[in-house]
Amino acid sequence: MAVTKETLESIARAGKPRARWLQATYDFARQRPLGAIGAMMILVMVLVALTANWLAPYDALTTDYGAMLSAPNAQHWLGTDTFGRDVYSRMVFGSRTALIVGLGASFIGATFGALIGVASAYFGGRIDMIVQRIMDVLISFPLIILALAVVAILGTGLQNVIFAIAIPMIPRCARVVRSSALAVREMPYVDAARAAGFTDARIVLRHMLPNVMAPYLIMLTAFLGQAILLEASLSFLGLGVQEPVAAWGLMLRGAAIEFAETAPWMGFFPGLAISLAVFGFNLFGDSLRDALDPRLRTQ
Amino acid sequence: MTHYILKRFLLMFPTLFGVAVLIFLLLRVVPGDIVEVRFMAQGQYSSEAVMAIERAKLGLDKPLWQQFTTWMWGLLHLDFGVSMWTGAPITEELKLRFELSLQLAIMATVVATLLAIPLGILAAVKQDTWIDYAVRVFSIAGLAMPSFWLGILMILAMLIIFKWLPPMVFTSFWVNPWENLAQLIWPALAVGYRYSAVATRMMRSAMLEVLREDYIRTARAKGLWLKLILSRHALKNAMLPVITVIGLEFAFLMGGLVVTEQVFSLNGLGMLFVEAISHRDYTLTQALVLIVASVFIFVNFATDIAYAWLDPRIRYR
Repeated sequence: MAVTKETLESIARAGKPRARWLQATYDFARQRPLGAIGAMMILVMVLVALTANWLAPYDALTTDYGAMLSAPNAQHWLGTDTFGRDVYSRMVFGSRTALIVGLGASFIGATFGALIGVASAYFGGRIDMIVQRIMDVLISFPLIILALAVVAILGTGLQNVIFAIAIPMIPRCARVVRSSALAVREMPYVDAARAAGFTDARIVLRHMLPNVMAPYLIMLTAFLGQAILLEASLSFLGLGVQEPVAAWGLMLRGAAIEFAETAPWMGFFPGLAISLAVFGFNLFGDSLRDALDPRLRTQ
Repeated sequence: MTHYILKRFLLMFPTLFGVAVLIFLLLRVVPGDIVEVRFMAQGQYSSEAVMAIERAKLGLDKPLWQQFTTWMWGLLHLDFGVSMWTGAPITEELKLRFELSLQLAIMATVVATLLAIPLGILAAVKQDTWIDYAVRVFSIAGLAMPSFWLGILMILAMLIIFKWLPPMVFTSFWVNPWENLAQLIWPALAVGYRYSAVATRMMRSAMLEVLREDYIRTARAKGLWLKLILSRHALKNAMLPVITVIGLEFAFLMGGLVVTEQVFSLNGLGMLFVEAISHRDYTLTQALVLIVASVFIFVNFATDIAYAWLDPRIRYR
């Protein structure tokens, strides 16, 4: 093999371990431009959520009955809704709701799923069999149906919505992580850990879990977009976050449909926000999966 | 092979039983029951005694295990019972909605398949070119747009551009096919586009994997046309995972279109489910969940069998 520019670069890179993550980020961006665009979109969304107080010209909850249903203009850039609330400001604050629910639900769902998956693979035998059958049962429910059932039990509201979205995600992650963990279980270091007399909990948490990080991260990022979409759907149905909290799905509900013809700005912009947010997360998640899954690597 | 099929077949029953137990218990954990909901809807105040009589009429006063065995016993005779809310047999309640949901699911699946297979192949063949990126952006955008928003946009566009709205009342395909298609084609397009995304991705990655196999290189080396290689050698082997994904999505389309049905005001199984759960109609909700889950579990079983049968390498012992 001839010494190419790339090999020289990688040798040079190996010499400076501190800049490794920077280099990895750079490589990721260069090889996967779509993923980089997705990451940028996520970054923008996070920044908007953090600086919502400065970005939004109005409060998300302030009503102005003198300016109900006004079309986009200089005072209200994206118009107002039936209560005279500023659509742009509500959208800006809505990014917080979307991020909190998205991050919260997918983190809980993926983490519990990974724990169950790894433990199930590690113990194997009858425990594995029983756990997998329970996961089969949970997977048999469509995502939204199980989420609706959980909301019916816990009630609506931000916190409950997070759980309602996380619970249907657990079995999906558990199944994927388990299949990776099955291979990890056969590794010599797991045998070594067992021979050293470590407890089961320690082997699962310290030795196996870090080695299924790739499928865990893939599932986590795949869930992010889905969770935001699911929150919007639940809120749209009136079973998610409740008024007057600013949430995109909620903004599309009721009056936005009733007045879709005369006041299309009420529904159009929040829907666009949902689409862009989910699009960013999916774009990034997709590229991350390609990068982490060696079977799909191009080179 | 027979042993494998038998084992997989028998495994379906504990899963279904688990679904039945879970939904039965879940429903009874939900606060409030149908009697409370009904009196609340009528705005009446009623004493505990009256409510107790109502509950007894519905059999809700019996111990849980007894309610469960009654339900199971009925199911064994293919009897779903009557809806607690309307008092009509559940099979009657389901009939019309099932037709609508099934037709919509089939149409959406057709749309998804027609989009996914050519796009997926194209993206794989032109990997890492702008065509590949365009296809991926197109399909990821489909996954990102909420179906209710896309639905509103479609209805608005038709209203503004054509001054026309799709019919709002469901007519059976066998009665008036045009009226029927004019109503259902829009939700089918919205849903089909969304569901094509997963299948397109699957088609692309399966195709990428197959294209790297030795027999494709051999075919190329002997100078075969790319078109022929794709259709005769690659496609067949790449189709398996795609069929699985499409099959599983079909199962979810049967019961998971709650939001789309709301936007297009379709009276399908998804709407019925929301109604049933808000009425605390135990019998109807149980029946619906069990039906959707059975479709899903059966499709899962069928694709597993198809897998084992079509690909001798993964034929299980």
